[in-house]
Amino acid sequence: MLELAAGQGGMPDWLWNFILAALKATGVLAFAMASAGLLTWVERKVAARIQRRRGPEVVGGPWGVLQPLADGVKLFAKEDVMPRAVDRWVWALAPSVIFFPVIMVFLVIPLDPKFGALRDLNIALVYLAAVTSFTVLGIFMAGWGSNNKYSLIGAMRAIAMIVSYEIPLVLSVVGVVLAAGSLSLVDIVEAQDEMWFIIPQFLGFVVFYIASLAELNRTPFDLVTGESEIVMGYLTEYSGIRAGLMIFSEYIGLLATSLVAASLFLGGWHGPFGTDSVVWLLLKAFFLVFVAMWIRWTLPRLRIDQVMNLGWKFLLPVSIANVVLTGAWIMVR
Amino acid sequence: MAQEQLFMEGAVEKREPIPENVERQTMELNLGPQHPSTHGVFRAILTLEGETVVDVEPVIGYLHRNHEKIYETMQYPQIIPMTDRTDYLAPLTSELAYVLCVEKALGIEVPERGRILRIIFNEFQRILSHQLYAATFGMDIGAFTPFLYVFRDREKALDLMDRATGARLLFNYFRIGGLRNDVNEAWLEDFRAWIDNFEREGWPEYVRLLFENEIFRVRTKDIAVLPPDVAMAYGASGPVLRASGVRWDLRKAHPYLGYEEFDFDVPVGEKGDCYDRCMVRVMEMKESVRIIRQALDRLPDGPVLGKVPRGVMKLPKGDYYQTVDAPRGETGCYIVSDGGATPYRVKWRSPAFVHLQLLPYLCRGTKVADFIAILATLDPVFGEVDR
Amino acid sequence: MSGLSDVVRTAKSILTGHGITLKEFFREPVTVRYPQEKIEYPRGVRGIPSQKVNPETGDLNCTACGLCARACPVGVITVEAMVGPDGKKMQYPAKYELDYTRCLVCNLCVEACPFDALEMSDMTELSSFSSEDLVFDRDRLAEIWKRSHAARIAGGEKI
Repeated sequence: MLELAAGQGGMPDWLWNFILAALKATGVLAFAMASAGLLTWVERKVAARIQRRRGPEVVGGPWGVLQPLADGVKLFAKEDVMPRAVDRWVWALAPSVIFFPVIMVFLVIPLDPKFGALRDLNIALVYLAAVTSFTVLGIFMAGWGSNNKYSLIGAMRAIAMIVSYEIPLVLSVVGVVLAAGSLSLVDIVEAQDEMWFIIPQFLGFVVFYIASLAELNRTPFDLVTGESEIVMGYLTEYSGIRAGLMIFSEYIGLLATSLVAASLFLGGWHGPFGTDSVVWLLLKAFFLVFVAMWIRWTLPRLRIDQVMNLGWKFLLPVSIANVVLTGAWIMVR
Repeated sequence: MAQEQLFMEGAVEKREPIPENVERQTMELNLGPQHPSTHGVFRAILTLEGETVVDVEPVIGYLHRNHEKIYETMQYPQIIPMTDRTDYLAPLTSELAYVLCVEKALGIEVPERGRILRIIFNEFQRILSHQLYAATFGMDIGAFTPFLYVFRDREKALDLMDRATGARLLFNYFRIGGLRNDVNEAWLEDFRAWIDNFEREGWPEYVRLLFENEIFRVRTKDIAVLPPDVAMAYGASGPVLRASGVRWDLRKAHPYLGYEEFDFDVPVGEKGDCYDRCMVRVMEMKESVRIIRQALDRLPDGPVLGKVPRGVMKLPKGDYYQTVDAPRGETGCYIVSDGGATPYRVKWRSPAFVHLQLLPYLCRGTKVADFIAILATLDPVFGEVDR
Repeated sequence: MSGLSDVVRTAKSILTGHGITLKEFFREPVTVRYPQEKIEYPRGVRGIPSQKVNPETGDLNCTACGLCARACPVGVITVEAMVGPDGKKMQYPAKYELDYTRCLVCNLCVEACPFDALEMSDMTELSSFSSEDLVFDRDRLAEIWKRSHAARIAGGEKI
């Protein structure tokens, strides 16, 4: 970025910064949308293979990789149905409110040893916690604005779950922060030069992964949109590109969380034999995405009170114990 | 047990009572008739307090096709394909109840090979039905993959049925006096292979993937406990009753088809919760395999269709009743004949219809997600409930 | 969720499940690409009932006795005998209609036939945009039989 900034050719600073920010935002958006599209395809293929099916393979390209493109076109071309009873503005804004916080996660993810992150915040983890909790608002808007009982139940479940799992999620990261001595993700990745944090912080990793599955509403915590109970939860009244945007943000969230988890626990860009690059980060993230899909197509769903029990009575004590143990270990060392 | 007690006991309120000055509001949720997991067209009006089910009102009749009245216009052999359409996931047991009833009325003897083949197909049908039950139950609590694993095996089983009976769902295979057609050696060979494969690979796979999963156990254990006396008071039968610990199986209690010659156990549950209702069915599949193996060993040669009086079939004046232990419970066929070519009245006792009465009792005080699981453990088929 | 043994048991059961799904992940799919690939139906499968044709004379076996129509539980078969030049009914169908929209495909008509004139075909993909199309007459039923049993007829099997 610094080399680019040197050649701004007489442009005023504010304009240059604005263009740079717009470029970054476009790049992130393009990457996020493309990878979310790819992930919908990957999920369908993984599900198909686990279930001994073939999955999409008719539409375009080898193994039907162009399927998400066709799906996207279909969603865009659909009529924008707005049910009569909905709360217009709340209902219509909800998909965007869900979508943008998820995109903002990409800002702080450390990509490459030379490049760093798009924006290396020194309070990156605090920023992440703040940004991701925004999603709850969007989900509640969707559930309330839909004026549908299934949506409302789904949204209430989502709020209860996401708010409770935020705590173990953040606490599980505290161990990493203690070990690395910094809140910046770039610093944390650099601190994993010798050993990935998954080894000393295994408990933290487990808690982080389970809690992030809950944050993402994925199985076994998919009771928010559990189709056998509440049809599609807060998504019930959405169709066309609005539903598409919400489903896309789920997949982008999955990828973003996997990227964060890979940076925090799996050493980010670090690879063997000095081949540190963004490729390793993506490989690790995609592996975590695959595990989430694998879990989704294996496990049944928990009930809301069991989800609460797991969060408050198991993950929270474990994550606190992890913080204490890490602190003790650092003191002793 | 007193009537009032019977109906009130289901309302288990485990939480702290809400203070008096707080206004309580309930929400009515209309679940169905078009809903992903009501097993057909079933409508339940749930009264909810948050996530807790306060009351359930089952509404049935969306699949009513007037079976019993239509039977009154049909000659006795014509009714057989119609009985398939009551319990369409276990058509052969419905057929069996009907043909046994007519045979009892007419005193028709079924040849030995026909009788043993009937047992084989009946138990095969039980496996298929319970298999699908396990699959859909998994789907109702959010595990989709076991569903398709079951279908992987079920497809092969349906191919076998296709070869034997000519159809994959509505078999129309039993006839008054025996079976429509015999099966050949090649079929029996493949059938044995399927049974072996099912016992060795399919069954353990479902059990390890779904029924031994800890999430499955916490979802079903101690949910909707049905005490044996209540189960009997409501007229429950089959796996629902056996799960409550009552060892009542018509194959043992009132043997038909010569089931008394076979050596098999009747699995019973301990508590009568969702888990027991599920596991009883899972274990019954094993017992059915045992019966099938014994039956295959003693399958004699000979005809499969006995001597049936020629001409239009007429039942002697009177009424006849026959029950069989269908996968869903006690399926009964009651025929009143006035001596004519068509029955005067046919009454179908369908177990799932009886079991649906239990729904309000079982569901009060549980969560919405449990409601779906409880409905699934009653295993209703709405073709049979509504008839 | 209390006690370490519970946690261990939970983890074990969940890992077992994942082992099974991973094993299946690396196996071949069992499905076929339906419209392009088809599984061959076994012999004796029940599709629409069809009219048997005598391969030598090309005539139908049907004598228009109407037993199939009477055996049909839903009454979808209509038979009318051909009227000869002398005004008497001949033993040959002038009209034989089967309303497939209501047919149960139950095989009772085939069983009722004393002249071996009906047989179930393996034609099951008979969808149409109009319900009139699904009322099959005599000649279409014969055509279906010929197509359905073409291999057997060509093989010279005695029918």
